[in-house]
Amino acid sequence: MNDQTNVKLRLNNSELWGGLIGLALGGFVIWQGLKLRLGTINDPGSGYVLFYTGILMCVFAASIIISAVTEGGPTLASRWENVSWSKPLLVIVCLTAFSFALEPLGFLLSSIPLMLLLLRLIDPVRWTLAIPVAVLVPLGMWWVLKRLLLIQLPSGLFGIG
Amino acid sequence: MDTLVNVAHGFGVALLPINLLYCFIGVFIGTLVGVLPGIGPISAMSLLLPVTLSGTPESGIIMMAGIYYGSMYGGSTTSILVNIPGEAASVVTCIDGHQMAKQGRAGPALGISAFGSFIAGTFSLVALMLVAPRLASIAIAFGPAEYFSLMVLGLIVLTFLTQGSMPKALLMACIGVVLGLIGLDSITAQPRLTFGRMELIDGIGLVPVVMGLFGVAEVLLNTEQAIKRDIINAKITQLLPNRADWQASAGPVARGTLLGFLLGILPGGGAVVASFASYALEKRLSKTPERFGHGAIEGVAGPESANNAAAGGAFIPLMTLGIPPNVVMALLLGAFVIHGLQPGPLLITQNPGLFWGIVASMYIGNVMLLILNLPLIGMWVQLLKLPYNILFPLIILFTILGVYCSSNNVFDVYVMIAFGIIGYFMRKLGFEPAPLVLAFVLGPMMENNLRKSLILSQGDLWTFVQRPISAACLALALALLIAPLLPALRKKRELVALDEGA
Repeated sequence: MNDQTNVKLRLNNSELWGGLIGLALGGFVIWQGLKLRLGTINDPGSGYVLFYTGILMCVFAASIIISAVTEGGPTLASRWENVSWSKPLLVIVCLTAFSFALEPLGFLLSSIPLMLLLLRLIDPVRWTLAIPVAVLVPLGMWWVLKRLLLIQLPSGLFGIG
Repeated sequence: MDTLVNVAHGFGVALLPINLLYCFIGVFIGTLVGVLPGIGPISAMSLLLPVTLSGTPESGIIMMAGIYYGSMYGGSTTSILVNIPGEAASVVTCIDGHQMAKQGRAGPALGISAFGSFIAGTFSLVALMLVAPRLASIAIAFGPAEYFSLMVLGLIVLTFLTQGSMPKALLMACIGVVLGLIGLDSITAQPRLTFGRMELIDGIGLVPVVMGLFGVAEVLLNTEQAIKRDIINAKITQLLPNRADWQASAGPVARGTLLGFLLGILPGGGAVVASFASYALEKRLSKTPERFGHGAIEGVAGPESANNAAAGGAFIPLMTLGIPPNVVMALLLGAFVIHGLQPGPLLITQNPGLFWGIVASMYIGNVMLLILNLPLIGMWVQLLKLPYNILFPLIILFTILGVYCSSNNVFDVYVMIAFGIIGYFMRKLGFEPAPLVLAFVLGPMMENNLRKSLILSQGDLWTFVQRPISAACLALALALLIAPLLPALRKKRELVALDEGA
């Protein structure tokens, strides 16, 4: 029973998962290298360096996996211990939503809500400060870029900005 | 005599009003990002990379260089007053600098840090002037085999010095090479890893990758925990160190300068390694090592001189060989490429105005920094009080705009966000992004030189060993790869292993 628990602990660690992801990526790179032409050592093809880099990736990933299994490592959950993991998650959600909204809504209509969300959701700034900052900073940046530096920002379906 | 004529020509370029303005903007922004925790020179330089397009190559590169060495100055202010390093090279300054501030000696700590930085910065420029042209004349004889081996060495040194396990750093370097190869093959024009997307034909841009891995990922990590700031509120008086301070600091400044410059030249080395090495050296040489950690001025003077000297030394491999020794120099290489310039052995002879103009501007920038850092210290302290919950949305907005403006392409914003998320998880799992970014830049050059040398030697791998410079680089790289397997050396590596990304 004790041995089983140890094996379970050794397998449930973030190092192992990091190594497995590396191994999968290495395998993918080898496959892509083979799909392109490998060529010969006299005349290396487009896939030559990719193929050998993929092999190196697999070797390093295997080394990470072996040390993760034999020496153990921190669990995935422990990497987020004593920190508020919800805050970076919220920032990621906001950024993902922003990336979907940027082209259809344009720079101004997507960045003002993004700023307001970031100012209010993560470590709340009072409304009286959050609203002016969220509106004036993107507007100011838009004005400088569009009017002074003549850089075209996305204006979206509504043509605002 | 030739050098003096060239320096005079350089000052002619650097003293042009527009170049003076760009130099001032560079060192001002550099000091600002050095002072503010959570945003480092890498993020600031990648943010401003597109701005370099609007001016001449000299102006743009003068500004970018100013950000780099300016951040070395600014980083010490935060370390001393707040006990938070503004950037990675100032981590070690926290140890004794903040203790000095707590004992009411913030003024001399800031003063010796600024003067030490100035002396080291000036020395490294003189050395850069003298060494670079000679090294460039030697580098003309370099063939593809030497370039390939030198780049391999640079990558291995960086992975050796990166925090965490070496296989992880090497895996990151390999991923960087693969990412760098995305796009058209430079020899056969065959698309690689583009998955049918037109946006990937030219490859992934350096700016979105760096901004994502360093800018966005850093913000995500910082939002996890509230940054505690223990700001010294007492009025800072008497910035000039007294006679005893100078006597104690003279040796550390001189040693730090020399050590920093030499470590800065090494591929993969840099300001962070130099500051830690200088601190360790001073502690070992001191008759009273127990004072270190409790406010020893030598612990501020040495590392601060070393990191500035290293910042100057790092320009040598870039300017003479075209090989960036660290991520910051990789970004500077990006600025050169944007303007259609290729740093390397021929840069000094083909573009003397550019090379000597940049060198001369660094002298001027160092004087500007001394003025910015001493009388304006109160202003930087006020800036430190800007809360992070207001600062981070601004950083995110600036990174988005910076990336968009670099290519006028929304796809790059997606790439940056994706790399920001990847970078966050990478750091959480203990994978450092610095080897990935350096390999991303060096990858296509490495592939090109490898394939060229194989074609030229008709597939003879001995070509890498028969050429002395190439053989020496590969032997050193192999030694560094084997070193962590030996327990005694593994311990030493863990002591000097650093987080280059901050």
